[in-house]
Amino acid sequence: MQETLLELKDLTISFGGLTAVNKLNTKLYNGEAVGLIGPNGAGKTTAFNLIVGVYKPTEGQVFFNGEDITGLEPYEVCRKGIGRTFQVVKPFGKMTVLQNIMVGAFVNTPKQKEAKRIATEIMEKVGLQNKKDDLAQNLTIPERKRLEVAKALATKPKLLLLDEVLAGLNPTEIEDAIVLIKSINQEGITVLMIEHVLQATMAICSRIIVLDYGKKIAEGTPEEVTSNSEVIKAYLGDDYENA
Amino acid sequence: MTGLINKNRIIIAGLVILMCLLPMVVTKPYYMHVIIMCILWAYLASCWNIIGGYAGQLSLGHGIYTAAGAYITMILFNTYGLSPWLGMFIGGGVAVLMSFIIGFPTFKLRGAYYALATVAIAEAIVVLINNTGHVGQYVVGGAEGLIVKMVGNSPAAIQFNSKIPYYYIVLFMLFMIIFISKWVKESKLGYYLVALREDEDAAAAMGINVRRNKLIAAAISAFFTALGGVFYAVLIRYLEPNAIAGATMSNQMVFLTIVGGAGTVLGPVIGGILLSLVSEVIRFYLGGQLMGLHLFIYGLIVMLMIIFQPKGIMDLVDRIKRKRGKQDQGEGGASSARDASGA
Repeated sequence: MQETLLELKDLTISFGGLTAVNKLNTKLYNGEAVGLIGPNGAGKTTAFNLIVGVYKPTEGQVFFNGEDITGLEPYEVCRKGIGRTFQVVKPFGKMTVLQNIMVGAFVNTPKQKEAKRIATEIMEKVGLQNKKDDLAQNLTIPERKRLEVAKALATKPKLLLLDEVLAGLNPTEIEDAIVLIKSINQEGITVLMIEHVLQATMAICSRIIVLDYGKKIAEGTPEEVTSNSEVIKAYLGDDYENA
Repeated sequence: MTGLINKNRIIIAGLVILMCLLPMVVTKPYYMHVIIMCILWAYLASCWNIIGGYAGQLSLGHGIYTAAGAYITMILFNTYGLSPWLGMFIGGGVAVLMSFIIGFPTFKLRGAYYALATVAIAEAIVVLINNTGHVGQYVVGGAEGLIVKMVGNSPAAIQFNSKIPYYYIVLFMLFMIIFISKWVKESKLGYYLVALREDEDAAAAMGINVRRNKLIAAAISAFFTALGGVFYAVLIRYLEPNAIAGATMSNQMVFLTIVGGAGTVLGPVIGGILLSLVSEVIRFYLGGQLMGLHLFIYGLIVMLMIIFQPKGIMDLVDRIKRKRGKQDQGEGGASSARDASGA
């Protein structure tokens, strides 16, 4: 069996009376690509925020590389080796593309030259080298999404959390993005991605976790998940059989 | 590109030599004093820029740091005869401590809390100084102000009969703060500060300890602001609480930086020198005619700048450079964007 990279144990968070994530248990193995899907409001992004420390869980723990990282600050979680992108992209608008990526590279080196070298490498990987000196605020949406991935990659993560990086892209751009995410995964970076574009999730991920109302309702290969009656019910409602 | 850098270097070297030779041309003490004050304002604006411009944390109470530097250094000098050359480090240290006390609880919060805290504490400290005649054997002077003991021409006490030594000291301070600003901007710290200014969540997700970096920036800014306060004290030799610690002092640093271009290396320098020069010129010509007219005109200039050129003079310079670059080379999109962010 492969070694466990990330383990969630009974992960729970309540906001007042609403339990956004409810006793989530799962394991991610080194090197795999896993999809996290579910209807709107299922708690996917909240689960991400629990893993990276933006929210502190009401209950449960997060283990990364066998170490309990529950309750650490986001910057500490990043330094442990978890990179994340934001659903609503957050570029540093007044910095150039290269400078944006260099910010991430500085986590591993205090030297400007070295940060520049790492950032340039990653910039070429995500295909933004033509935009090197453009201010991030002048980028198009697909470029911003690429920049978002590049910024996370620059911190040299072992685990990359992608929050809807394909949303808002056209079919060609989605094709390109799939190739990029696959190549990142093939380099040995474990990927956990939230995605509504199901074909893309299936093309990239070997395993899919389905959330609904904060609970895990299914987990397995894409084929298993899509034929699961609970999953179909969650997406289409109780009356789907009559439809 | 290398030609451009060399050209810039020659211009900078020329400016430096010109400024060093300035006292040979300017002989009247009044003009010398005006120039010294302009440079001091440029220096103070540059200090403010590190926390207010780079890190985007609006401090409206930097007067407490000039006051900390000035009062502590001068009280030590008056009481023990401790040279301001040594005393300034104690004053600077106290300023750093104050920046921690304000920053530690407020940097965790978002929005206007830091700005509010700086205003509140600055106001409290002005009132405190105004009402403190002495603390034990240490004379503070209260609302009457603190008079610096005169010892005649003495380099150890930073007291000179001529204005020229002061000019060279403040010029050195200006070069030092420009160098520090440039170094901070190009270092890891500078990248972190701009990143957290642009988006704190994204910065934290990329491994940046937001609060720690804000505290470092605030401490650097406070220390050098305090040194500016010490210089003010030895130059004027009289500390009036409202002038050294009050809102005018604090706000001036903010105005000058914003008008010059917050977050750039040279913006606060240009803003500081130009604006205080304009202020002095209109005061000189209009000050005696109608009460407050010079202040009205000064306010009008600042308002117009903020309305029509909110990104400051540096942004205007960059735009002109870009336009000329386009005419010269028929392109320049890439290099001009670099200028805009790197200036």
